[in-house]
Amino acid sequence: MFRIDFNKLRFLVCDDNPHMRRILRTLLHSFGAREVWEAEDGATALEMYCHYAPDIVITDWSMPIFDGLELAQIIRQPDGPGNPYAPIIMLTGHSEKRRVMVARDAGVTEFLAKPISAKALYQRILNVVANPRPFIKTKSYFGPDRRRSSSNTYIGPERRNGGQAEILQQPSLLDKARAAN
Amino acid sequence: MAEKKPPALTVETYADYQVITQPNPLRKVLRPVDERHADDPVARAEQALAGLSSEFAGWMTEECNRLAAAHVALRDNGFTQDSCDELFRAAHDIKGDATTFGYPMAAMAAESLCRIIEHSPDIAQVPDNLIAHHINAIQAIVREHANITKLGMADELSNRLRGMADAYLIYANRERPEHLEAVMSPGIVPGD
Repeated sequence: MFRIDFNKLRFLVCDDNPHMRRILRTLLHSFGAREVWEAEDGATALEMYCHYAPDIVITDWSMPIFDGLELAQIIRQPDGPGNPYAPIIMLTGHSEKRRVMVARDAGVTEFLAKPISAKALYQRILNVVANPRPFIKTKSYFGPDRRRSSSNTYIGPERRNGGQAEILQQPSLLDKARAAN
Repeated sequence: MAEKKPPALTVETYADYQVITQPNPLRKVLRPVDERHADDPVARAEQALAGLSSEFAGWMTEECNRLAAAHVALRDNGFTQDSCDELFRAAHDIKGDATTFGYPMAAMAAESLCRIIEHSPDIAQVPDNLIAHHINAIQAIVREHANITKLGMADELSNRLRGMADAYLIYANRERPEHLEAVMSPGIVPGD
C-alpha cells in the first residue's frame, strides 16, 4: 500500500469563503502538508500560482473578480506564465452534470462536489499524485486526457481524427545555408 | 516539492491532436508502507475537523447574516448584476458548506434558492415571497436548529420549498426546453 508524503507537496487553495479555506487548511495540514497558500479570488490565486509554483491547486468555482473556471482556463494556457500541467481539483457546490462537463473542458483534473469530506479530498489528491493522465492538445483544448478509460460502447462524436501524423523534418534556413557552404 | 526543472515531455503528434506525457513529477511523494503500521491520514483529518466543530454554529450564523444582507441589498438597489451575484454566492456557499457544518436541511433550502436564481428567465420577475421564504427558512433552520431538527420540521420545510421552487421553474421555463432539461436533471452525488 502507498501513502503520500504530504510534507513534500505544496498546495494552493482558492476559495472566497474564509470558512471553507479554514476547513481545507485544517484537512491538508492534518494530512501532513506544510505548505498551503491561500487566495480568496482567482486573480490573487493566479498571481500566487505563478510565484510559488504549487504542486496541486484546489479551487472553488464561484468567486468574485474571476472565478475558478477562468483560473483553470488561464493555468491551462500552453504558453502561459506558469506551469500548465499542475493538477487542478475543483471543489464546488455545483453538482449538476453539465457543470462537471464544463469544468472538465476547462482543463480541470478532478471534480469534487461539496459537501467536502476528508476521505473524498484524500482520494482526489491520491488520484492526481498516483495516476496522472497524459495531456491532450487540440485546436480547442489543452488539458488532462478527458478519456479516463477506453470504452467500446462510446457512441458520442469522435473528436480526434486521423492516425499518427507523418512528420516531415524540414531543415532550417540556417542549416541549409551552412550545408551550402 | 523542490522540482526546479519541469521533467522532459514526450509528445506524440497525430493528425489533429497531440498526446503529451511527462514523467510523473509527483511520483517522489509516494512511498510504500506496511499496511499493519500505516497511520490513517483520513481519520486524522476527520478528527481535526471534529476539533473545529465548536465553531460551526457561529460560522453558519455569519453565512445566514451574509445571505440576509444580500437580500436587503437586492431589495434596496434593485436587481443589478452585482446584487444578484452576491445573493447567488451567499446562497451557494450555504449550499456547499452547511452540511459540513451540521445543517444539511439548510443546505437543501439554499440549493433550492440557487436553482431559482440560476434558472429563472428573469430574476426580477421571481415573486419576492419565494426568495424571502427561502431566506427565512434557512435562518429559522439555523437559529432553531436543535428544536426544528428534533421535530423533523427542517426536512418538511426544505422539501416544501424545493417543491414550490421547482413548480415555479417548470412554469417559468415552459418555453425554454434547454433550461427545463437542466431544471429537471438530477445532480451528481457528492464524493463520499
